[in-house]
Amino acid sequence: MIEIKNLSFGYKKRKLLYRNLNLQLAAGSIYGLLGKNGAGKSTLLKNFIGLLFPTQGELLVNGFVPKKRLPSFLQTIYFIPEEVYVPSLTINGYKKLFAPFYPMFNEDQFHDYLELLDVHDKGKLKTFSFGQQKKFIIAFALACNTKILLLDEPTNGLDIPSKIKFRKLISSVFTEDKMIFISTHQIRDLDNLIDNVIIVDNGRLLLQASIAEIEKRLSFKMVDQMPDESDVLYADSALRGYSVVMQNKTGEESKVNLEYLFNAVTGNPAKAKSIFYKN
Amino acid sequence: MSEIFSIKRFWLLFKKVIAERPTQTLGVTALLLVLSFILYAAAKMLIGIGPAQNLTFIWGLAGGGFFISSYVFGYFSTNAGGSSYLTLPASFLEKWLCGFLIAGILYPLIFLLFYHGIDVAFVAAFHHGLDKTSIFYKQQYESVYNFDLNGIVAWKVYALFLKLGGLMLTGSLYFNKIPFIKTGLAVCALVLIIFSLNWLIADGLFGHVNDAIPYDHVTLSIGKETGTLILPIKLENFFHIAFAFIIPSILWFLPLLRLKEKEF
Repeated sequence: MIEIKNLSFGYKKRKLLYRNLNLQLAAGSIYGLLGKNGAGKSTLLKNFIGLLFPTQGELLVNGFVPKKRLPSFLQTIYFIPEEVYVPSLTINGYKKLFAPFYPMFNEDQFHDYLELLDVHDKGKLKTFSFGQQKKFIIAFALACNTKILLLDEPTNGLDIPSKIKFRKLISSVFTEDKMIFISTHQIRDLDNLIDNVIIVDNGRLLLQASIAEIEKRLSFKMVDQMPDESDVLYADSALRGYSVVMQNKTGEESKVNLEYLFNAVTGNPAKAKSIFYKN
Repeated sequence: MSEIFSIKRFWLLFKKVIAERPTQTLGVTALLLVLSFILYAAAKMLIGIGPAQNLTFIWGLAGGGFFISSYVFGYFSTNAGGSSYLTLPASFLEKWLCGFLIAGILYPLIFLLFYHGIDVAFVAAFHHGLDKTSIFYKQQYESVYNFDLNGIVAWKVYALFLKLGGLMLTGSLYFNKIPFIKTGLAVCALVLIIFSLNWLIADGLFGHVNDAIPYDHVTLSIGKETGTLILPIKLENFFHIAFAFIIPSILWFLPLLRLKEKEF
């Protein structure tokens, strides 16, 4: 669904942000794109939707070259930026003007999602709070039923109950023929939601793996004493010992902690690479 | 459905553009018409009806066209607005055509109808207010006519409207924030540079330059004698065609390419 071959991108030609990036992302997954502030997460998403053009390399999304921004391509993908655009319209007015551009838009779903996210028709969208506006756009985007949904920092501006509802909604609407791609630095918001993790830092792809693969390769646990340093990818002192991320040599199962995983991979990329990409 | 142009999609887009930002399209148009009316009325009292007709026509059409052109692609003043506009499933041709239709066709059409209406009313009021018993009645009556929309002044203003509107439409896709001011400053800077360079070159070549209008003429003053150098007729025709047709066409079509290639 998204194929990236040797993609390079830079806001200035001499200073590339991404260099020779290769990725193959298939439908049927919720991807979490993790990275620090300024790591290039939004930039990657903007390349996917065709708002930014790769400097070099190939990028195919749903079989289309995004930079052409063909209408039939844009009907298959929806991008929710960190700050959403809402005109001075009511919910119904927005639906009437924007929905006809998306052939798979489902009005019943739209109203269901609004209900689920507690967004109620109370005048012009411009008068809604930032969180309400964001939830409105999320409901609209989901009702468009595009094959790919790109969300850039979707939980920014949402209160805690809304974050929970957002997670529930994303899980419930997801189907095997779709791809949801969430970029965030608020890693905890993605817990129990994503099934694939992509970590980028300084324009480099540090990790692309499914949660199952991560569980197989790494072990997340609490220990009383620090184990041999060579086995430890990440350690953090806790009340009753240490939270550690280690290479899973015994095959024991442990729940992936995304925050620790992120710290482990960005703090020790070479070691993470040797664990994940060895034969 | 065609990837380049579809009537149905264009109509949806046009409806959306008008309805989602009524202030920037209908509101600005209404404001410009009201300002034109006020300008006409005020100028009529201060400088007379003839100059008021010209002044209102120039500012209303060329100035108003320049102003409204800055709004039609005004989505790029915010990241969210620009992203939403560029990722909306419509072709770049349809998006450009919407802007072109509003700034290049609908606004001048509405302005011309409105202007003609107020002009007829003001001229009629002027004629009505004349003293029919005065011996100067006929002379005064005939001194004021309705503004000729097909006259020399009108055509000069049409040409100015095409250049300014095209400049602003193009500028609004290069300057995302406050395009009206930035494009205005860029146009002023460009004109200043061209005139200054032209004057410097003319002065360097001939000396004693009195005035130098780029692509037109240079007037030299030596002692009490004054002479004007004009372009050869073929060159003059070339520049006339370039300024009247080629440059405005480029300026109005450049946004089409810019929309296609715009990264945001």
